[in-house]
Amino acid sequence: MKPLAPTAKLDVEAVLEDLERYRPRRRGWTWRTTAARQTLGPFEYRNASAGLARSVPLPAAHAFGDIDPQCDFVITTEIASGRFEDDLRRMRMAAWHGADHIMVIRTTGQSHIDGLIEGTPEGVGGVPISRKQLRATRKALDAIEDEVGRAINLHSYVSGLAGPEIAVLYAEEGVNGAHQDPQYNLLYRNINLQRSFVDAAEAKRLMADAGILQIDGAHNATATAKAAWKILPEVLVQHAVNTAFSVAVGMASENIALSTVPPTASPAPKLRLDLPFAVALRELFAGYRIRAQQNTRYMESDMLETTVTHVLDTLISRMTSADIQSTITPDEGRNIPWHYNSVAGVNTARQTLMAVDGLLDVVALRRDGELGERSRELKERAVLFLEEILASGGFEAAVEAGHFVDSGLYPERAGDGIARDPVGGVGAGTVVARTPEYGAPVCSHFGHNVFMSEGGKPCDAIDGCTLCDATKIRYVDELDDEDNVHRRLRRPLAERTAGLIRPEVERAGDAVVCVTLFVAEEPQLAEAAALKMVERMGLVDAQVISRRVMHPAEGSVFEIKATLSDPVRRDELLLGAREPALADADIEAFVRPRQLHVVAATVGEDEHSVGMREILDIKHGGIEKYGFRCHYLGTSVAVDALVDAAVGVDACAIMISTIITHGDVHRTQMQHLGRLAEQRGLRPRVLLIAGGTQVTDETARACGLDAGFGRGTTGRDVATFIVRRLRARDGV
Amino acid sequence: MSTLKRADDFPTRRRHLEQMSDDELHAYFWALAARLVAPLVEQARSHTTPSIERSVLLRMGFSSLEAKAIVDVLQAASLLGRGAGRVVLELARTHGVSVAEAGRGLVDGRYRAEAPR
Repeated sequence: MKPLAPTAKLDVEAVLEDLERYRPRRRGWTWRTTAARQTLGPFEYRNASAGLARSVPLPAAHAFGDIDPQCDFVITTEIASGRFEDDLRRMRMAAWHGADHIMVIRTTGQSHIDGLIEGTPEGVGGVPISRKQLRATRKALDAIEDEVGRAINLHSYVSGLAGPEIAVLYAEEGVNGAHQDPQYNLLYRNINLQRSFVDAAEAKRLMADAGILQIDGAHNATATAKAAWKILPEVLVQHAVNTAFSVAVGMASENIALSTVPPTASPAPKLRLDLPFAVALRELFAGYRIRAQQNTRYMESDMLETTVTHVLDTLISRMTSADIQSTITPDEGRNIPWHYNSVAGVNTARQTLMAVDGLLDVVALRRDGELGERSRELKERAVLFLEEILASGGFEAAVEAGHFVDSGLYPERAGDGIARDPVGGVGAGTVVARTPEYGAPVCSHFGHNVFMSEGGKPCDAIDGCTLCDATKIRYVDELDDEDNVHRRLRRPLAERTAGLIRPEVERAGDAVVCVTLFVAEEPQLAEAAALKMVERMGLVDAQVISRRVMHPAEGSVFEIKATLSDPVRRDELLLGAREPALADADIEAFVRPRQLHVVAATVGEDEHSVGMREILDIKHGGIEKYGFRCHYLGTSVAVDALVDAAVGVDACAIMISTIITHGDVHRTQMQHLGRLAEQRGLRPRVLLIAGGTQVTDETARACGLDAGFGRGTTGRDVATFIVRRLRARDGV
Repeated sequence: MSTLKRADDFPTRRRHLEQMSDDELHAYFWALAARLVAPLVEQARSHTTPSIERSVLLRMGFSSLEAKAIVDVLQAASLLGRGAGRVVLELARTHGVSVAEAGRGLVDGRYRAEAPR
């Protein structure tokens, strides 16, 4: 596959070509390359890693020279639309925003399929994981990681009834990380206990040899429990069961990651409740990896509320420790995550982690008081839980008695735990005792095996297994002529060829939009009105996905998801040809000998000065550096005063900045300048230029000025405009 | 659903832990965890499942479709305890054919696997 060009879309058809011969270029997990101290732009960082070759910096980075520092934690994004071909594009966007761990959620029901899925059927709430899907995804990620200049880890799940087979698949196809925890099967998928643990040992052995990072499933207890802050002793026990089991089957401690979530959300006193648990976990499990997840248990449909919770979760990661910071899309509480919300989730972690860089150099956790006492108490409660499980007959007996996911703070028992029959559940009766002759002539096999005792590798008996000789891997393509990626791509590819453009949130051209409406009526009436308004906009299938009462009588705000039926045609759009800015040397060669003067100010009752200073000041890369004589009159300046000043210095241009837009005051100011310059006979000799966050070239010219510059403008852009105009006027 | 109900008796239940240092408590925690998982590990060492056997066949070069068919035949014949890989390999040796051919023959009935007498 050709290298990706930043200006070209990912070619999914090229990704799908020749997958039969695709081989992953590396195995195992890759951590970021960290740097103890790193200087970027005006700042020094203490918890940073190597930068990206290509990225989209955080919005405020504009003020700091567009730096894009990267934290030392791996950042995860969970991606699952049901169509992996659309997820590939989302992975690319997430990588440009700093994600280097792509967790692919499996389709609903895959954990109950007793075997592997082949081909590329469509999923529900996730992707059917298959060899073809994994190869296509890994191949796309190879190209994406080359584009951004950082290794990207691919991750999915080794759970359900087919754990060992899936682990073989992951080892063969270079999957880098996976969830594996038999307790998840048992408690949340009602898969038979013995089956879950016997399968888990084989799966873990395979993962261990392939260097696949394991993430456990204990966080699910925190996500499920009625009172998540009370289940913490059990969570420690669940981590311990999976960890001790993994170590016993041969997994290295550096490949065992604990999945942990701060259990609460505001208005709970979150940090005081969550920090003792975070400390207890990290002390008890020293030497293992920490995968810090963000809270989902108390997530509602309000994305801002969720984002605040996730910022605090991420703060806890920095105040304690983490190796991976996972992110939850802020819209998970209302729909299958949308592209831009996945990216927003990544940015929540990136923004927070750069903001708290070096935090522990200036603040410290107080271990001597309540924090130490509470974390010790959680550890003791976990120890007591382990004691009781052993005293009552072991793990199976405790599961049967319903000790797990009980909402009581152990030793308290609320009697609402999940009880499972140890010999029941899905897959019951399928565990078979190995006879003394039992044999498996393959590598990465756990337990009794006659081929192990023959010396050499167990797979010598068959001249090598697929783990030693990848040419033996059997690739299966599509099994269903209708339900496959090639069929699904027909419509979006045909539409693209026809030049049709639709909005999109999740799947190619899904035409879904989100409208935000505030309606100043009581909630029920307001909601009905909001839906009707969306219908009037020509949108169909309107559905309220978030509602917030501002006041019971004064109004509510709604976010409404709907579909836009009609596509836009590419050929109906007029795109202004953008002329590239002139080179610095060309500008300076024109400006300096002519000693050009400009006068500038922020006009009206407006105290914003930053934008204008950036355009003018030499230290911000402004136009002074080209030799312009800049006369900056300050903020809240009257347009008349500016025109007087321009006459006084014989300026070639008047530049106004107008940020405030209340009552269209920015337009009024621009029109006033245009009229006054005309009356005073300055036109066309003096160029009139306006700038501001809401100013466009179109509005400025409609107000009688020569040009308008909006967000993202640089001094070079403005200087280029002035020079081009003066050259045209003077014929040089 | 569980029927366990109990008030929090932590203050009395914890008395034997009170004098332990943090390091002692951590070591005790891990000793208990190791004891708890030991029988589960032992069971895994001495047992197998259809998924494990299919995973062995995958590693021997069978496709997922073939692996499933072979394990279904062996499960019906109560031969999984011998190991699907071993059974197929023995068939290949007995009939002088490749492992792949032995697997196919087992599924279409040309070869029969039997428990050793």
